[in-house]
Amino acid sequence: MSKIKLFSLSLIVFAFISCGGDTTETNTKTVGKNSNVAPALEGNKSSESSAAKDNIFRLNFSDPPTFDPALVTDTTSASIIVEIFSGLVTLNKELEIIPDLAKSWDISDDGKTYTFNLRDDIKFSNGDKVTAGDFKWSIERAANPDTGSMNAEVYLGDIVGVTEVIDAGGSLTEVKGLSVIDDETLEITIDEPKTYFLAKLTYPTAFVLSEKYVTEQGENWIDQPVGTGPFVMTEYQIGQTLKLKPNDNYWGDKAKVDGIIMNLAGGVSMAMYENDEVDITGVGLADLERVKDPNDPLNKDLVNVPPQFSLNYIGFNVNMPPFDDVNFRKALSHAVDKEIIADKIYSGLTKPAFSIIPPGFPGYSPNIEGLNFNEELAKEYLSKSKYADPATRPRIIVTIPGTGGSPGLDTEVISDMWKETLGVEVEIQQVEWATYLQDMNRKRLQLWAGSGWQADYADPQDFIDVLFYSKSDVNHGNYSNSEVDDLILEARTEIDNNRRFLLYNQAEQMIVDDAAIFPLWFDTDGYALVKPWVRGYEFTPIIVPKFKDVEINS
Amino acid sequence: MLKYIFRRIIWMPVLLLMVSIIVFILGVYGPGDPIEVQLGNNYDEANAERIREKMGLNDPVIVQWMRYIGNAVTGDFGESYVFKNRDVSELLIPKLIVSAKLNIISFIIAISIGTPLGFYAAVSYGSSKDPIVVIISLIFYAMPVFFTAPLLILVFALQLDLVPAAGWGGVFDKRIILPALTVGVPGAAVFVRLIRSSMLEVLDSDYIKLARAKGVSEINVLWKHAFRNAMLPVVTIMGFSLAGLFGGSLIVEILYGIPGVGRISLDSVYSRDYPVIMAIVLLGSSALVIANLIIDFVYTLIDPRIDMQ
Repeated sequence: MSKIKLFSLSLIVFAFISCGGDTTETNTKTVGKNSNVAPALEGNKSSESSAAKDNIFRLNFSDPPTFDPALVTDTTSASIIVEIFSGLVTLNKELEIIPDLAKSWDISDDGKTYTFNLRDDIKFSNGDKVTAGDFKWSIERAANPDTGSMNAEVYLGDIVGVTEVIDAGGSLTEVKGLSVIDDETLEITIDEPKTYFLAKLTYPTAFVLSEKYVTEQGENWIDQPVGTGPFVMTEYQIGQTLKLKPNDNYWGDKAKVDGIIMNLAGGVSMAMYENDEVDITGVGLADLERVKDPNDPLNKDLVNVPPQFSLNYIGFNVNMPPFDDVNFRKALSHAVDKEIIADKIYSGLTKPAFSIIPPGFPGYSPNIEGLNFNEELAKEYLSKSKYADPATRPRIIVTIPGTGGSPGLDTEVISDMWKETLGVEVEIQQVEWATYLQDMNRKRLQLWAGSGWQADYADPQDFIDVLFYSKSDVNHGNYSNSEVDDLILEARTEIDNNRRFLLYNQAEQMIVDDAAIFPLWFDTDGYALVKPWVRGYEFTPIIVPKFKDVEINS
Repeated sequence: MLKYIFRRIIWMPVLLLMVSIIVFILGVYGPGDPIEVQLGNNYDEANAERIREKMGLNDPVIVQWMRYIGNAVTGDFGESYVFKNRDVSELLIPKLIVSAKLNIISFIIAISIGTPLGFYAAVSYGSSKDPIVVIISLIFYAMPVFFTAPLLILVFALQLDLVPAAGWGGVFDKRIILPALTVGVPGAAVFVRLIRSSMLEVLDSDYIKLARAKGVSEINVLWKHAFRNAMLPVVTIMGFSLAGLFGGSLIVEILYGIPGVGRISLDSVYSRDYPVIMAIVLLGSSALVIANLIIDFVYTLIDPRIDMQ
């Protein structure tokens, strides 16, 4: 190649390389009317240790699929949305429903009509007034299939008229069950006196948007979201950074911190923490021993993270042999020593589960009698079952999700225990997540592990009813018990919460006695590291705003 | 020759159409469904059906495909299923550019280290220096990324505090140093072996022997005659690197916090984000075809032995 050609080629390459500063490539959305971005928030370049002196909280996060409250289905998006938007009610740390934009509410005697009184003088972040009309408009927008919401049915479907709007495919927009009495009063009518309805309103799908702003801006409104949460978005570069600053028009106490910087690009979180590039990080199993050592300098930053309300379990398909025999299921349940697995394999990081509703969750009962570890009983149940004889026993395959070829250690140990104690052989099959999900939803898995159930809202209905009602779409094992169904249906319309929880506990005991699933673990305390200059960060097991009380003391 | 280039260029859209059909069919008939992935726990058959219907996922495959192609030729690659209301091109282009920049710098490092070493190894053929150079470069080549990256981060970021542990600031920002080395140094081994074997072959050829016989100085023999001809195979390697220019190394990007295309390439498959998958596959195929074409073209310019039909 001639020298000239080589030279021009290198010029082209050089020009390409130098094009654009990478922190402000095509996707920067610098937002907000008063975008007085503090100097420390500018660009990624010098944020490493400068922010420790400014009142800016820095953390690692994942790219949220959406900022639109009506479209959210995942926890990443929800975690950010609750900082920017809000709704009628929210949850406190004890998982009790407390007022948010609605200062109070009344429930009619028949339990079907809720009248919400909004706070005085509430505004959106751009200064527009928030009215009951905005709430009605937002819920109708979420219900309208043209918006594309995937879970409007779940969270709003109890409101009279929502299902009609969803089914109408866009031709019907008004939800009959929503009534604007005046600017500060909103009336919502639901189809039956369901007490868990209020809990569903804490989820983003029911949050309020500004009718004026969204209609005026059209589709691109989401690039500069306007909400009622404690923060506003100031900058968002897809896959790189997300920056928030306090909302001056927030109705409550203004956030103490001056800004939040979230790094979305990745990196080894522990390394970044140790290098003072982020102020907080989770601690994985691999680093746990090191930071728990009192002599390690990181040890003083160690904090406990309360458990998420989740249940990890092995599912039985009661329509497929050999799991159509309750004695066989019970035999397997009694044959496993969960304590030893939790202790030796998970270093005490999981808590063995013998019931359905997790501890600390509303409706939890410590009195549920589980199928405890008892080898004699296990063998007895096996001998009573149709499948006692290995020769006539059908092939058993346990399906787990994931890639990488190694099942979770607990699945391996449990299979081993079944073999040792009962002589039951189980094959482990690993299937990639989307395929696993599809097979599970089509109810064609015989035995499955590696999945868990996590509550979306703080009500036991989300465990007992949603998972075990015979007609539920996520009752993946075809479990059906008419007595359990009756209890569930009764609970749906029981107005007294205490009575309702009792009904769920009764159902729970039957579900456990039937060995409908094989409960394995409740989530337990985890660990995180937080820099000493961070005050006020609260770990919560459910998705509620976390940043407004954070303060950085330098 | 123009006719030849023209024919090669015409072939590209045909190839891309074929690729798109294959990916489409795999997506539609393969296991897994994007709607189910997003509904997760809240799966509801009726709801899922309604959403699929609305997104046009229940239409016959041929209709969906034609709709996609019709949009794609105008530059509209659709919206991501996962990142709501986000254009695929808007989503991918910044990431592709970032990955490309990292790849270019890594390539420059690889070729800058590898070429002189390969040259040196070939020239030292017969002495112990030759196998030593080769062995050392192979050791670096064999080291996996998930070993070298954490090691470099530990030493240079945490212990010596010379660079941040993660992040991306473009080509002239110091945070590119560690990832570029992580990718570039093993890549050098490729050039070491390539240049070395190419040089050895050239050094053994007749015209070199002739040049020596004529009394040309050794430096001129090596540099003016041998080296320039030995560089020919490098063009082929450049071609492959060019084809992979917009690809991202998943592990490097995750460990160093680089907003490239690697992560989304994998995530989109897990979540069945078909518009994104299609765009990435089509881009990769195009890159490969174009790279091949460029390399063949460049070869005819620099190697007089090759004659384009």
